[in-house]
Amino acid sequence: MFRNISVLIAFFICSISLGQNDSLIKLKQITVTDSQLKNFSIAQSTIVLSDSVLTKNQTSLTDLLRYNSPIYFKENGKGMVSSPSFRGTTAQQTAVIWNGININSQLNGQTDFNTIDTRNFGSISVRSGGGSVIYGSGAIGGTVHLQNEMRFTDLFSNKISVDYGSFSTLGINYNIIASNDNVIAQANVSHITSENDYEYIGYNKKNSNGEYKNTSFSTQFGYKVSNTTFLKFYSFVFDGDRHFSGTIASPSKSKYLNLDTRNLVEVINYSGRFTSKVKLALLNEEYKYFENKESDNYSFGKSKSLIAKYDLFYSISSKLKLNSIVDFSRNSGFGSSIDKNRREISSFTLLLKQQVYSNLQYEIGLRKELTTNYESPFLYSFGSLFSPFKWYDLKFSASKNFRVPTFNDLYWQGSGNLDLRPEHSLQGEFGQVFRYANIELTTTIYFSKIKDMLRWVPNSSGVWQPINTDKVEIYGVETLLNWKKKIRKSEINAATTYAYTVSENELTQKQLIYVPYHKFTGSLAYGYKNISANFQTMFNGQVFTSSDNVNSLKEYMVSNIGIAYHFIKTNTSLGFQALNIENKPYQNVASRPMPGRSFKINLTFNF
Amino acid sequence: MYCKKVFLFASAISLFFISCSNDDSSTTEAPIGAYENGVLILNQGNFGTDNSSVSFLSNNFSVFENNSFGIVNPTEVLGDTGQDIGFYNDLAFIVLNNSQKIEVVNRKTLAHVTSIETGLSNPRYIAFSQGKGYITNWGDGGNPNDDYVAVINLQNYTVLRTIPVNEGPERIIVNNNKLYVAHQGGYNFGNTVTVIDANSNTVSESINVGDVPNSLKIQNDILYVLCGGKPSWSGTETAGILVKHDLTSNTSTSLDFATSSHPSNLYLSEGMVYYTDNSDVYSMSATAAALPSTPLFSTFDQGVYGVYSFAVENGRIFVGDAVDYSSNGKVYIYSTNGILEYEFTVGVIPAGFYFN
Repeated sequence: MFRNISVLIAFFICSISLGQNDSLIKLKQITVTDSQLKNFSIAQSTIVLSDSVLTKNQTSLTDLLRYNSPIYFKENGKGMVSSPSFRGTTAQQTAVIWNGININSQLNGQTDFNTIDTRNFGSISVRSGGGSVIYGSGAIGGTVHLQNEMRFTDLFSNKISVDYGSFSTLGINYNIIASNDNVIAQANVSHITSENDYEYIGYNKKNSNGEYKNTSFSTQFGYKVSNTTFLKFYSFVFDGDRHFSGTIASPSKSKYLNLDTRNLVEVINYSGRFTSKVKLALLNEEYKYFENKESDNYSFGKSKSLIAKYDLFYSISSKLKLNSIVDFSRNSGFGSSIDKNRREISSFTLLLKQQVYSNLQYEIGLRKELTTNYESPFLYSFGSLFSPFKWYDLKFSASKNFRVPTFNDLYWQGSGNLDLRPEHSLQGEFGQVFRYANIELTTTIYFSKIKDMLRWVPNSSGVWQPINTDKVEIYGVETLLNWKKKIRKSEINAATTYAYTVSENELTQKQLIYVPYHKFTGSLAYGYKNISANFQTMFNGQVFTSSDNVNSLKEYMVSNIGIAYHFIKTNTSLGFQALNIENKPYQNVASRPMPGRSFKINLTFNF
Repeated sequence: MYCKKVFLFASAISLFFISCSNDDSSTTEAPIGAYENGVLILNQGNFGTDNSSVSFLSNNFSVFENNSFGIVNPTEVLGDTGQDIGFYNDLAFIVLNNSQKIEVVNRKTLAHVTSIETGLSNPRYIAFSQGKGYITNWGDGGNPNDDYVAVINLQNYTVLRTIPVNEGPERIIVNNNKLYVAHQGGYNFGNTVTVIDANSNTVSESINVGDVPNSLKIQNDILYVLCGGKPSWSGTETAGILVKHDLTSNTSTSLDFATSSHPSNLYLSEGMVYYTDNSDVYSMSATAAALPSTPLFSTFDQGVYGVYSFAVENGRIFVGDAVDYSSNGKVYIYSTNGILEYEFTVGVIPAGFYFN
């Protein structure tokens, strides 16, 4: 395996030195590190949530995506553990990609969307459908991309934002950017603390053990070594302290601490038709769970990942691009119920994109992983984009994707199963984009079959063990509609998403639990001079909570409003938000009510 | 350790994976009124979810109802992880492990009387003696040193005092003003039975039994304790063992199972001993000198993957099946010859049968 890597690396090094004779290309002022999201995603629908959308939303990734994407979230009460169901898949089948690096937990395979504070990122994108060829394990339902852009321009800006609202919720955010043509330094600190003692509407009870606080810190540093070589550093730290809420009838006294750190160093070299990137990432995750917050007893889990990537992009001609990625990662995990274990995975990815005609292009991706832990399938993807008219695009894509067993699945004491295979899915989708005036309508139909789904079931001696058991068949429709309009001094932005999802266990023909058939989101933002106002709403259809589809949670519709005024003289904004304006009781996980109506005021200083 | 893994995993499930629920509270049905002359079936529900429920089946099998507690008490939520029911005079005490409470109801009507919500910490099983209630408590599951038996005043429903005991007190039964507590072990593996004197409310004795005593009964002054043994993954697997302890002479005899055999669900009925191992139901004479080599019958044909709850009463064998631990469970009722006679779909994870 190592010989293969060194041979490949040698090959790439040769390619670079050959390519360096070519003339310099113009460099973009704005760079992102996850270039595949732009270059190799022609056939899949992507929602980009820019800075201006992020500031209008609540700061947890859960709330942002709940109101702006088709993803369904299972949240154990406001601020508690939150996991996604994207296109009818499980929590482990959505990959979260931080600046091009997959950050799903090595321990449980998923990301807790309440441990990501959106203020740390310049933009957040949601890419529907499979992406394992590029992003690896877990990119089955789709991927969520957390991006930090770097702009090499003269800038010095500071922003302090404070908000205070119901349930003694205080948020503070400070952001600084200092940059010129050669150097950029950016830092962001966010802190949020909340008593979170909201009322359980209709039960005469409060969320008694739901208080939380967290601090997150992100930095980016970029240095232009020469006109062709850039050095970049990214880091993202999240330090959370939550008491876990109980249920309606059950008090809780538990506490959960987690500390996640992610660091990434990247060297980019542009030479002629080649762009090479060497990336080195170090990810750490650690949690402590206290059954009783007053006690010193806790259970814990830790994992460390080292990821080394070599990414070479070769623009053979203006119409033909080739991208190869060699990736080596070493993960180690350890915990109160997991013996210390380590695994090493090497992967090789080849991506090709060709513009056949001015209105037709296609892309192909291939990936193979080598590891001693499990038999890894050969992954592939194909996508095409046909634009016969200015107002119409036709997209088609198909791919094979996978999700590898986690450390918990493999090594949990007494339960771990070393004979697991990765879950794998074969999927296809067909999308159309219509554009008219300022309206863009995207509709995608998709079909997906997932095999070898991992599920924990009791074995014959009553011990719960993960096995490759279920087959799931998923199909559905996703619709995105956007409208933008500027009339003199006013500006209107409207965005809606709708998803219809059928996700059935093939054997029982029953819908998977916690997958709604229908989900709709809508947002409307209006700006006039210094005033802006926005409205957002979400409809979530009924979800089943038991696999026999007997028990369920009712559908709900929740709406928020916000208004803000910008004082030009002082470069200050004052905002006000009302959430769940109709004070509706709802649950997205059984027995765990969400808050009723709440308010928040926000003050932002720019200097 | 066995239970530790199960519970750590159960809590992991409840935290990170999503289990299931019962949202039937909105449907209005008329209660059937009289819940005597039948069996209450306690459905445990999923750990971390308030979907415990009680089903009722009349002794002649003609009347059956699910969600009886919810129907009788539409404004009350029974709670999370129903563990045990005990009867005392006109009352039934429903112990809810993860809700840290006991719901007290009228045993004939199931009408809510009161809730005992303080003084309990991971309550498990209940018994009564000398006009008081005795409830085993694990304390914090991860702490081996805070386990106790809570003594309840049945006049004002408060915890009178607590009696510290070894780790993992589980099932509790009463005989001649003495309480017998099996230490299944909680997050670890226990191997004793603690005897509590109900007159002094102190621990009077500890009886050594086999590993992981999971069920116990007393008949004719003989204490029968079925010990499952340590499972294979513990690294030190031990065989199951049936201990018969003579309470008058204070001497024990025992019958050993094969090493890989981990029996549970001991029940005594009409001079016979019943127990289960995986999907199989065994019976033997209470005085037999050897264990039966073949099962009485298997529940395998009903798709039971491991008998979750069990009882032998009124000449019939009751088996509770948790199915996939998410769907509603099943109850199968057999003749004592093992002929399937009735089957019912109950709530999520049927955990026990309580004959009223």
